[in-house]
This record gives sequence, structure tokens and C-alpha cells, in this order.
Amino acid sequence: MYEVHLTGNFPRPEPLIDVSRQFDRGRTGENDLEEQLTSSTRALIELQITNGLDMLVDGQLSWQDLFRPLSELFYGIEAGTLTRWFDNNTFYRVPIVHGKVRRSEVAVAKYYRHDLMPTSRRCKAIMPGPYTFAKLSENTAYASFADLVDDLAHSLADLSRELIESGCKFIQFNEPSLCTATAEELKIAKHGFELLAKNSAKTMVQTYFGDVSRIIDELLDFPVTCIGVDLYANDIDTISKYSFSHELSCGCVDGRNSLIEPPEQIVELMTKVRNEIEPHQLYLGPNCDLEFLPYPVAEKKVNLLGDVRRRLNGQ
Amino acid sequence: MGSNLFPTQEIGSLPKAPWLLSYLRSKNLDQADFDHLEKWSETSKFEGKQEALNILSQPKTKEKEQRLRELASLFGIRFLESSGLDIVYDGESNRIEMYEHAIRNANGFEFYGRVRSFDNRYYRKAACVQKVGFRVPYHLNEFKYVAKHAKKEVKVPITGPYTLAEWSFNEYYQQKRMGKGNDLRTIKQEAKREFLLDIANELLRPNMDSLVQAGARWIQIDEPALATRPEDVPLFVEAFNECTRGVNCKLSVHICYSNYQSLYPHILDLKNCSQFALEFANRDTSRQSAYEQLRLMKDSGDTREIGLGVVDVHVNTIEEPKVVMERILEAAKFIDPAKIYVNPDCGLRTRPWNVTYSKLRNMVAGADLARKSLGD
Repeated sequence: MYEVHLTGNFPRPEPLIDVSRQFDRGRTGENDLEEQLTSSTRALIELQITNGLDMLVDGQLSWQDLFRPLSELFYGIEAGTLTRWFDNNTFYRVPIVHGKVRRSEVAVAKYYRHDLMPTSRRCKAIMPGPYTFAKLSENTAYASFADLVDDLAHSLADLSRELIESGCKFIQFNEPSLCTATAEELKIAKHGFELLAKNSAKTMVQTYFGDVSRIIDELLDFPVTCIGVDLYANDIDTISKYSFSHELSCGCVDGRNSLIEPPEQIVELMTKVRNEIEPHQLYLGPNCDLEFLPYPVAEKKVNLLGDVRRRLNGQ
Repeated sequence: MGSNLFPTQEIGSLPKAPWLLSYLRSKNLDQADFDHLEKWSETSKFEGKQEALNILSQPKTKEKEQRLRELASLFGIRFLESSGLDIVYDGESNRIEMYEHAIRNANGFEFYGRVRSFDNRYYRKAACVQKVGFRVPYHLNEFKYVAKHAKKEVKVPITGPYTLAEWSFNEYYQQKRMGKGNDLRTIKQEAKREFLLDIANELLRPNMDSLVQAGARWIQIDEPALATRPEDVPLFVEAFNECTRGVNCKLSVHICYSNYQSLYPHILDLKNCSQFALEFANRDTSRQSAYEQLRLMKDSGDTREIGLGVVDVHVNTIEEPKVVMERILEAAKFIDPAKIYVNPDCGLRTRPWNVTYSKLRNMVAGADLARKSLGD
């Protein structure tokens, strides 16, 4: 059985963009913004259900970037200057670590809308992994990088526990920076994941924008349930040489190009992956967030995933 | 040393004139719009003020809009000239912005909606859905108008092939390759190269040819996206050489917010480029001089001109002429002074008009101080 899920932030629909901008300019109130956020999130959940996606996400429509809510959900972090988000024409605010990182009192429900998910469906929460979080932060408080990774991991573990208590079955940790990590950093990252592994949910390390072939030996030792790979940044023949005891999530739909891939070609590719790698469980989804696309295109990508899922599972 | 040392130039955009924007958006003009026109007309000795006021006081028509656009262009020219610059354009006063203006006037593209740049800031990103093609010479009328009215040397800024490709979705060229093998990474990269070269050959070269035929003597190719993927610098070089092949005028390239180390040695292969206009002031700190990076040019034996960014376009702080002078003299340790042009880091469109003007005036004054300090 192939399972399908989304792997990151979803773009905002046009009405939500407009309300967000009006809110910034003081032309509309918090209630209007909240109402639009809620209805947009409901619509996205419905879109996933309609297409048969196996694990639902809330799309994180209120998130400005992968780290911003964490500057509220954690003590010790504030949002800093704008910096390019990898090789994209999109920018994030560098998290400034100015004190000991720990979970704050801000309710998790402010930024994770799993309250809107039907209880009958499995859902997934997405957050930065501790290594990428530390790597892309400006550290002004910790004596060592490893200490920062560990404290971020502890705080992310606390957050994960709350999400699991609210019904999440799967926690995805985004780790795009891992692809360029040094050997020493990989050890630090692995230790961070050992701290994260102490919960009851399935965990996933999601790599993207990078080639994992250089780090794959170490990655296969990470204590996670699932490893996510961006097939637009990797040669599948290289990955096929490795034996996967983990579940594998393949980013086979491009979140950075509006081209709607021909479904039969995705089916062919995923069948090849299944036959050659034989993972315990195979997931497919976008290679990264879909928020690099305009909303109508992102919707089409979800429809494509639904189509591919039906074809692969013989429905 | 001669008095022609350190010519001063702009890089491209100015803020949009508020009275033009109000008119185009069919909004009632407020006092601030009129004050802006009044103040800067006097400062710039803009001869079109009365005519602009007449148009602004009348119902909007297509003809009047066209004339107001021309006057906004003239306003930009005079603004830049009055700041003392040696080389000018019109502040790109009638372009939507550097990406959208080119793409909306090309064949093969379609806009689907907005994508986030950061926070709640979005931009419209187009998809290439057919083979890229030339539709109209989209800078020609603008250039003719500037050339006719400018009293100083004219340089035409245009958006380069790499930036147009990098800021677009590539559907058409990737679609052609889908199904030819399972390596999506290779498919994507090959499609990108073909897309880029078609932009260079089918879109940009015809546009540049039209400008040269109309008398353009200097075209600046803007490539702000080159910072995005250092591994693509060889691709950029290939595209630049294609789009400038046979284009008979002075050609320069503007690059900003980039790791300049990644440009070398590849950009030594740019065949038809006589100047690099680069951003430096933004990265110049008390701890580390940004201008030491010019050692890269020196060590590579690169003897081209440098357009030296001495004014930061992202802050409202006005650089003192002395600071500008010091930056120029620092650069002169690595580059032959006769090869140094002086400019802001990038276009000034995000700064208020008074800040823009003060920055340019001080830049010009700083270049003068630098000239004098070298004995002129």
C-alpha cells in the first residue's frame, strides 16, 4: 500500500493573502484574520480528504516561515533579519538564540490546527529538526553548537508530546541542512534525534533541496521511523543501492515548479522505487513545501497526488 | 590623474512618483502627491510640472495617461541629473518592476497567482508554458524618450536571462523531458539550460538589438538572482554570452547580494562585458572592509571596470561624502582608479525620495573628494 501525504507549508489562498496584508496595515481586525485562517485550513483539510491522502496536515497557513512560530512557542528565541531560504527567491527571518531554549506557555493550538481535523483520520505535525534549526540560527547564547542542538531537541520533544496528546500520530522534522552537514555535525544531529525519539509517535526526518548520497550511511542510523528524500535533488539509482530498514518518503512531485507532472510518470517512478528499494512502507508526496507555488497550482498538485495514489493502489 | 576619474552612475530603479501611482490607480490625489511634485520639480528643475498638474486635474484618458507616463520618465531623468550623476536613465519609472515588466511583454508565459517572498510580502511569478518568444521591444519607446531628453550619458538597465529564468516556473522545457529517464534532477537542470538559452536568444538579444539600432551605447544587464545558486554561474556565463553575441555597444552586468567568490573563475569567460557593477556598501562594516573582495578581481587578472557600490540601498542612513571617498580609495588599492565607476549598491526604489536624493548627492560629493585626494 502506497501512502500519500503533504510535506510542508501550504500556500495561502488569495483571500487569506489579502486579509493578512490588510491586517498588517491595520485595516482589518484579528477576528477577520482568524476567521479566514480557519476557513482556509478547513478547505485544505477537505482537499486532502477528497483526494484520499492518508495523513492530514493543517498546512501551517499562519506560519511566516519554518521558524517564526517557534520564537513564540519557545523561550530564548526571537526572529532576526531576513535571509534567503536555501536556493529560493523566498526569505526567512533568522532565529536569534539569545537565551536558554525551552518551551514557553504559548498554547500549541495557536500554531497547529489539529482541532480542525476529523478524529477518524490520522494527522501529522511538521516542525524544524533540531540540526537545521540550530544551523540556520544565530547563536548568541550557547557555548557550543551541540548544546544548542540538544536544547532545541528537548524543546521540540516537549512540543511533540503536546501534539501527540492532541491526536497527532506522526511528527515530521524538516532537516534540509543535513545534506551539507559535516561528519561531526551528523553525530550531533543524530544525538538530537535520539532525544526526540522518546515519544510514542512515528517520527520522520525530511530532507529536501539536497543530495543525500553523501550522508546516507549516517542517515540510515538515525532513530526515526521514516526518512524523506527529495527526488528532484537526488538520483534514485544512487539511493537504490542502499538497504532501507526505515520507512521511505519520496518527494516525487515538485513543489518548486508549477508543471503538473504526468501521473503515469510518477507511477512508473514510484513503482521502480518500490521494486528496487523495497522499503517497509513507502510514502509519496511533494519534495518540499508547496508554498513556493501559487495556491491554485498547489491545489492541482494535491489532486495529482490523489490521482497517483489511486493508480498505485489499484483503485 | 584626470578629472574623468570615478564617473558616477545609478543602477536602475527609483521609487515610483506618488502622483503617477494615484493617477494610474484612479485615486483622488492628496496634498502629499501635489507637495511631492512641487518639491522635486523645483529641486530637479523639472520642466514638465505645469503640464503634469494640468493632466492630474482632468478626467483620465488613454492619451493623458500616456503623456503623464512620459512626464514621469522626464521627472526621473531630471531627478537623477540634478543629483549630479554622470550617467543616468529614468529610474525605470514606467516599468511594473524588473521581472514582471519583461515577462508580461514576452511570449510563452502565464501568471497563475502570488507566491510569498517573505512575511506577508508576495510577488507574481509566471510560468513558462510555451517556447519563449519575442513579442515587442519592451524597452524601446522608453529608451528613445530617455535618449531624446537626457542631458547626460545614458545607460539602459535591462533584466538578465538568468534572473528571468530563475524567477519563473519552467513548465514547457521540463515537460518536453518528462518521461525520458528517472533522474528528475538531471531532467530539471537540462530543462533549465534550454529555457535560459531561449530567453537569451529569443527574447533578450532581439530586445538589445532594437535598443542598439535606436542608438543605445551602453546596456547594463541586471542579474540579482545570480546569488541564488552558485553552481549555476557557468550557466549564467553561457546565457550572457549568447544574449550579447553581436550586440554592438558597451555592456555591463550588475550583480548584488552574492558570494562573489563563486563568480570566479567562471566570469572571466564573459566575452562581451566591460564592467561589473557590484554591491559592496551593504557588507562594509567597521570590522571588515567589503572592498577587500576586489582582491578577487586583481588576483584573477581581471582588468574590467568595476561599478563600485558605495551606498547601501536598504537603509535610510545617509552616507557622508567622506565615507564614500574612503570606500572609493579602499577599492583603489586593488583596482586601477581609472577603471572605477561609482554607484549605489542596487536600485533605490525602496527608499523615500528625500533619502534617495541625499544618498545620490553625497555619493557624487564623495567621488569628488576621492578625485581631489588623488591630486585632481
